[in-house]
Amino acid sequence: MRPRRPRHPGTRARLRLLAALAIAGSAWALPGAAAAQGTGSAIAIVTNPRTSTSDLSFLELRKIFLGEKQFWDDNSRIVLLVRAPVARERDVVLTKIYRMGEAEFQQYWIAKVFRAEVSSKPKIVYSTDMTRELVIALPGTIAFLPADEVGSGMKVLRINGKLPGEAGYPLQ
Amino acid sequence: MGRFRLPIAVFAGLLLGILWQSSVLGQGLVGHEATAVPPTTILGFADINYVETERTVDEGFVLGQLAGHVTSGLTERLTFFGEVSATARPDEYDIEVERLILRYDFNDQFKLSGGRYHNPINYWNTAFHHGLWLQTTVSRPEMIKFGGRVLPVHFVGLQVEGGFPTSALGFGYAGGVGNGRGDVISRGGDAGDTNQNRALLATIYSRPANIFGLQLGGAVYVDKAPAEAGFDVDEQIYSAHVALTRERPEVLAEYARIRHEPDGGGETTDTDAWYLQAAYRLPLPADAFKPYARVERIAVDEGDPLFEPFGLDYKGYLVGVRYDFASLAALKLEYRDEEFAEVEEREKSLWIQVSFTFGEH
Repeated sequence: MRPRRPRHPGTRARLRLLAALAIAGSAWALPGAAAAQGTGSAIAIVTNPRTSTSDLSFLELRKIFLGEKQFWDDNSRIVLLVRAPVARERDVVLTKIYRMGEAEFQQYWIAKVFRAEVSSKPKIVYSTDMTRELVIALPGTIAFLPADEVGSGMKVLRINGKLPGEAGYPLQ
Repeated sequence: MGRFRLPIAVFAGLLLGILWQSSVLGQGLVGHEATAVPPTTILGFADINYVETERTVDEGFVLGQLAGHVTSGLTERLTFFGEVSATARPDEYDIEVERLILRYDFNDQFKLSGGRYHNPINYWNTAFHHGLWLQTTVSRPEMIKFGGRVLPVHFVGLQVEGGFPTSALGFGYAGGVGNGRGDVISRGGDAGDTNQNRALLATIYSRPANIFGLQLGGAVYVDKAPAEAGFDVDEQIYSAHVALTRERPEVLAEYARIRHEPDGGGETTDTDAWYLQAAYRLPLPADAFKPYARVERIAVDEGDPLFEPFGLDYKGYLVGVRYDFASLAALKLEYRDEEFAEVEEREKSLWIQVSFTFGEH
């Protein structure tokens, strides 16, 4: 046990001063960035054509995008592609699937990797062309695109039994 | 052993070297080649503190920990996870291998790994590790503080884990066999089992699909731990947690009962430890601020053969505010009122901390 050190007479005063500064500082409120809202055409969920899955429930889709479901039903590893910030489809996915803003999304994946709950964060893609190339080339890949930009050679998944454009599709 | 004395410059050099490499490999995309093998990812965490306190500890500016974390896929299913920390001491830096894990993922339901872990009998221990920026408060609860004795922070051995993520309850589990506490009970038996009696652990948790951010769970841990008096003590730990990690609100609560019985007979003792923490991120335009509060308690049973020599009784509460002044950095201001076993009166402290993360994000 360490011997008790006599308190300096100024300690309480300094504590009070610092507490007052802390309260004053907390009054500075800076505006935060609001999550962007997506509008326009539906977002298609696409996979590599060799993926055996053709239909996902919205819950399964969400668990895949959250990195909690990491393997397809045929036991192959899921490779998640996410568009870099600014793309409209990213805003839609963050709002409707993740229900997060950009800062929360970033912190979520830092924590997920740090906790060793996933082996990697999503691969970031910077264009529709890059998304198409990787989805076609890389087995197990899942990604999202504006429905009117989906190319040949990739599989469009049904979500809750619906394809983009159909009534009740959850990523309109 | 997990503890090495290395020059801090060597540690920093290694970290910077791996960071440079990860900038190339971080996406798993080199040129036009793409691979499903998890790429190498480097994360770093650090904190700088200022403290004024009535406690008999040094005041002023305090460097916290510099923690580096690496994740690297060796094959599509085999992954290495490592975490190393450098902690400022009065006469040196302590370099510690906090985690060193090699894991094979068979599927979502079954993953097998070996190495040195943060013990999953406590939620905080595996949710925040040494990433102080990730946690809302300046420091950990007393029951699971770094270097603490109440709960075994580290676990050296084998673990199986998995889950059923798309089930309604989001059920998950982990089980392990390992060395248990070392001769120094705050350490994890890195060089072997000190008493040839393996520790066993089992945890289960649920992340219900319809309540985002909620996790409920419990754990059991059984070991034979070495007491200061020179004999072994049968140790059983039962714990439970509730964690709601949404920002509005954030609620964390954990409880642990630690039961000790001297080997060969003697009085059985029960020590209880718990904390309750709540936080709430303010609405726009003040959403950079998150006020928080925590109350906690450690009640060591009289005559506890493992804990009584160390005076681990504790009562405390804290209030503070976290200010996220950048997307990867936070300023925390925290006031504490605490009562430790060796001091008869309550002691107050004020902490200011800047914590941040860096690396491949």
